[in-house]
Amino acid sequence: MLQSARTPGLNLYTYSEVEDVQGFVGNFTVKVRKRARYVNNDCNGCGACWEVCPAYGYNEFNEGLDSRKAIYSSFAQAVPSLAQIDMDRCIKCELCKAACELDAIDFDQKDEIIEINVGSIAVATGWDEFEPPTGYLGYNKYPNVITQLKLERILAPNGPTLGHLVRPSDGKEPKKILFIQCVGSRDLNMNAYCSSGVCCMISIKNSKLIKQHSPDADITVAYMDMRAAGKDYEEYFTLSRKEGIKYIRTNVSRIKEDPKTHNLKIVMQNTLSSGGLKELEFDMVVLSTAMVPAKGVESIQKLLKLELSQDGFFKEFHARLNPIDTKIPGIVLSGASQGPKSIVESIAHGRAAASSLARLMGKDKYRILLIRAAVEDKDKCAKCGLCELNCPYNAITINDDGAEVNEILCRGCGTCLANCPSEAITLRYYREPHYEKQIDAILMEI
Amino acid sequence: MAGTIRAQYPATLRPVRINCTGRVTPSLMMRAIGKGADGVVVGA
Repeated sequence: MLQSARTPGLNLYTYSEVEDVQGFVGNFTVKVRKRARYVNNDCNGCGACWEVCPAYGYNEFNEGLDSRKAIYSSFAQAVPSLAQIDMDRCIKCELCKAACELDAIDFDQKDEIIEINVGSIAVATGWDEFEPPTGYLGYNKYPNVITQLKLERILAPNGPTLGHLVRPSDGKEPKKILFIQCVGSRDLNMNAYCSSGVCCMISIKNSKLIKQHSPDADITVAYMDMRAAGKDYEEYFTLSRKEGIKYIRTNVSRIKEDPKTHNLKIVMQNTLSSGGLKELEFDMVVLSTAMVPAKGVESIQKLLKLELSQDGFFKEFHARLNPIDTKIPGIVLSGASQGPKSIVESIAHGRAAASSLARLMGKDKYRILLIRAAVEDKDKCAKCGLCELNCPYNAITINDDGAEVNEILCRGCGTCLANCPSEAITLRYYREPHYEKQIDAILMEI
Repeated sequence: MAGTIRAQYPATLRPVRINCTGRVTPSLMMRAIGKGADGVVVGA
């Protein structure tokens, strides 16, 4: 991140949102709203302000395990290293302003709208952890049922517990831990897809980390399938089994909590053995939830007029032959925005996206086919707007003198022609008489 | 597409190549029926 911030010619707009996108490949006009931090660029991230701030807020970075102040830095390695004020939490005592030696705090700062011209767009909106409904497998109900991201923050050396494995209910170190795979994924009631084996590997990794931390931990992973497809993945999985991590093939349907100890009791059956049902008790349960599209992705979809696939991620040009481009020339998908994938795959996909755009922008010309819709007789056009409405590529606009086709966005599908009640719009090289003659010729023999 | 899936169809089915099924209009289909065709198949 730091390297990108230091790259000359690369403009980084953080704490910002894309508000409007107009235009087409080579000529996009994008409006970016740079939200007010109430801190200007004189800030060097020293933290004198948040030391004195009396107000607290939910620490999103640490998954709510601890709090942060109303004036805070997103996380220690944030780029740029600036503070920001959460105005919902700020009590306007201005103690931060008094503490700041660089006079960087500005309560009068406003949002700024910046207009930029770009030739192409890469959508890299990433993913979020699926949030199970409250109570599902004890999520958001039993304190010792947590998700993988929460576990990652607990295990992180710079996290709220400084890397000590503690469980939320009493701060004790959990010894008997269960990982439940495929929570909210491979599930017709929630998300039908599999998160591409990412959560399988995360469980193996976190289990090994816990074992490293406390070798006497008793870890079980409840799985449907262990998807360890990738370089060195199967070997990693075998290694984890050698370390004593147990893998049980079972679907966990219900978790009960012991209200006194906050331990979790689960009745499960190892489907690969003839042992039958067993009730097991765990100190902590970790849910491997599905990877879902990032929150707020609907606004980007509307702005760019992109399609979504069945799984809710952005739709690629072709699922097998081109998972990088979209149906809109000049807009590509990068990383998990296109679908759940691991770090390895995200890097490959991201570089493919960059390469696709470099190919596009590296040339000084953009070639299009001539098979395009055209309004050849504007008098026939009644400006009903059916062509504009039905065009899958948003290539038509209705002006005062009739419909106008953007030849770069148009893909020559002919949907506008089929919908036009006045026969005003036509498709070059595929006009009506062309087909009429073919049909006549074929049926002449009859 | 019938070719790509190697589907077999009778010789009485005459193909007309189009660039996209969006291009097929009701008037074209009715013209075919009017000229003597028993039916029209719009394939992917």
